[in-house]
Amino acid sequence: MFESVEEVQQRFRDARYIASRRISTVVFLAARMGRPVLVEGPAGVGKTELAKTLSDVTSRGLIRLQCYEGLDEGKALYEWKYAKQLLYTQLLRERIGELIADAPSLPEAVSRIAGQDDAFFSYRFLSPRPLLQAIRADDPVVLLVDEIDKAEPEFEAFLLEVLSDFQVSIPELGTVKAKHVPLVVLTSNNARELSDGLKRRCLHLFIDFPTPADELEIIRLKVPEIPERLARAVVAAVQKIRALELRKPPSVSESIDWARSLVILNARELDPTLVESTLTLLVKYEKDIERVRGALEKVLAE
Amino acid sequence: MEERILEFIGDLRRAELRISTSEALDALAASAEVGLTDRETFKSTLAATLVKEARDHETFDRIFNLYFLDLQALGEGLKKALGPEDPKVQEQLDRLVDEEGLDLDELTELLMRGQGSEMEMAIRGGAQGAGLERLMYFLQVGYFSRRIADQFDWSAIEADIEKIMQALEARGLDPGQLARIRNYLELRLEAFRRMIRQHVQRELERRAYRAGEQLTREVLADKPLFALTPDEVAQMKGVVAKLARRIKDALALRQRQEQKGRIDSRRTIRKSLQYGGVPMEIYLKRRHREKPKLITICDVSDSVRNASRFMLQLVWSLQECFSRVRSYVFVSEIAEVTQAFGTYPVERAIEWALKGAPVDYHCRSDFGYAFSRFANTELESLDRKTSILVLGDARNNYNDPQAWALRLIRERVKGIIWLNPEGQWGWGIGDSVMPLYAPACDIVRECRTVGQLGEVVDNLVHQWWRRGR
Ligand SMILES: Nc1ncnc2c1ncn2[C@@H]1O[C@H](COP(=O)(O)OP(=O)(O)OP(=O)(O)O)[C@@H](O)[C@H]1O
Ligand SMILES: [Mg+2]
Repeated sequence: MFESVEEVQQRFRDARYIASRRISTVVFLAARMGRPVLVEGPAGVGKTELAKTLSDVTSRGLIRLQCYEGLDEGKALYEWKYAKQLLYTQLLRERIGELIADAPSLPEAVSRIAGQDDAFFSYRFLSPRPLLQAIRADDPVVLLVDEIDKAEPEFEAFLLEVLSDFQVSIPELGTVKAKHVPLVVLTSNNARELSDGLKRRCLHLFIDFPTPADELEIIRLKVPEIPERLARAVVAAVQKIRALELRKPPSVSESIDWARSLVILNARELDPTLVESTLTLLVKYEKDIERVRGALEKVLAE
Repeated sequence: MEERILEFIGDLRRAELRISTSEALDALAASAEVGLTDRETFKSTLAATLVKEARDHETFDRIFNLYFLDLQALGEGLKKALGPEDPKVQEQLDRLVDEEGLDLDELTELLMRGQGSEMEMAIRGGAQGAGLERLMYFLQVGYFSRRIADQFDWSAIEADIEKIMQALEARGLDPGQLARIRNYLELRLEAFRRMIRQHVQRELERRAYRAGEQLTREVLADKPLFALTPDEVAQMKGVVAKLARRIKDALALRQRQEQKGRIDSRRTIRKSLQYGGVPMEIYLKRRHREKPKLITICDVSDSVRNASRFMLQLVWSLQECFSRVRSYVFVSEIAEVTQAFGTYPVERAIEWALKGAPVDYHCRSDFGYAFSRFANTELESLDRKTSILVLGDARNNYNDPQAWALRLIRERVKGIIWLNPEGQWGWGIGDSVMPLYAPACDIVRECRTVGQLGEVVDNLVHQWWRRGR
């Protein structure tokens, strides 16, 4: 898939994602070793985007499982459509009657019905959810398990089993094994600690806020029309604001938004009034906004 | 290289990173995939396979840097140590060696042409048999430097240098040039000796770091809490954080082992009757286990403040083990501080609870008053699922103990556990009213050190789990 770490970096960049050395290394290893990657880090640093880009770059379909509180196997793996099955059975009652009408004995009748198992237990009655889709896919895919920390620990334990051998057993149908091991990316915002088992199974990638150089690249990529000077000023200011120990420091997506609106406002450089009036794009909490206002001079210092 | 990685993993483990065997194997396999050419890639590879907690990255970085020297940066530094380059001299030497076909010792070759990083590798090779594992004190640096130096054949080098000088003289170089070349070679030789010493010093640093960390932790965990210096308090926070993690991990492991669900056939069949006997909806047996509620009541007067601090830290780091945690602090006035823990990171909330909550921190402890106030205002909110953890030395300054209040509270809750940061020998002596409160408590424990605190809380959490089944 990739020959080298450098190739990963280059191809991601071509797909408009700036991957640090660390990110590229982990992606390279994941592809080589066929291991899931667990990506952790603050909000908006490109965790989800990483998986999307990976699917882009490898031309694999993206299957996404968004986790939430209460997510269970039924919603993640498959649901058995009992109602439909029941309906079929009802409708076919007569045919079944015919089938066993001339059976000489009860055992014979039972075995005739048993002979039709396939009709009653088939994929027809099953709605596959993301995990099963990923396992049954004919072509290799990227499986994104987004925000795993939102799901319950029980679900995590179940997921771990799936990720360990990429096969599931469906009582009605038997065991299904993946044709291709999917590339798996799990993301977490650290709402709670994940289990050791899961962490052990995964390669671990902690994405922090980007370095100034990387962030500048990201801004140039995503807001190509931005004047160079303004881009540099934006990055410098954002990096300083992040150092202020806010309740929620500005994310990459927020600095992109900010840069975009500055461009729309036709700004050429940053001045205090401009920053003040656009600050809410960058920081969201009232207290944080106050903090930044108070430190504006420092933030804008060269 | 494998050995070196495994040794490195050993050091990470000693620094309390938990690394399983499978992760160690992953690290080996992964580094074989990327190779060693790029240091940053190699480091990312080890980090991705070995470090699974964001908070461990700092330790990892530090140990990595001690272990896998940045040869390039080191090379730069060594270049300086080797003195200014002298291309002219170098060229003369190179030509000499090429043309005369001199038979020189390996080390001489290295001295004449080697880069800093190659020299460092040579020193590492020499250090293999020098018994560095016995290196422990600064005073040993000289000794071990000599032992490594002894691995090299210095007399051969000196003989080589003489050989070179004679050959150069025979080629008709003038005394000035000769002196310059001799000086150059001697400087390099000297630098090489210095490098050996630096190598030993770095090794010492690595070892000392390893031993120091462990020692600090062990000593601190058994030191009486009231005697901690501010520095030690700061270090102790890390110790408590690790303790909390350990307790949580053990619990999580247990939960996972016990939690495979089975079909609840009774409910499933009952429900299926609605559908003419077809089991449309499957019910799984859930082992029902309600997490306990916890209330902590901490004395935050000077004498026991440290104990309260760590108890709060421990309990709040374990909050996901409980369905709800509420915390109160008192000296004599009692106040709820739960809110702060919802708003701020644990650490800040604790500082606030210890110093900024609406209680008078400078008066004298009055347990009786605090309990009676608590009983008056909170009794209605208590229930049988709640356990109460009290932390205090029960030194009541001869105030009215009002033990009835604690008994009243006990009747409403699942249990009361009292942690006393004072040694058991002091209970009941002077103004200590511990014996008066003890009958209302289910458990009373001495809790003078973080070690003891950890034990008590660990037992608690696991007991709840066991009883909840
Ligand atoms: N390294 C990067 N290169 C290019 N774009 C990036 C990078 N990092 C972040 N972005 C941009 O930031 C936006 C937010 O990223 P994304 O949604 O992946 O964040 P996230 O980490 O998943 O956040 P959350 O934790 O909130 O889900 C993306 O749309 C992308 O445009
Ligand atoms: Mg996301």
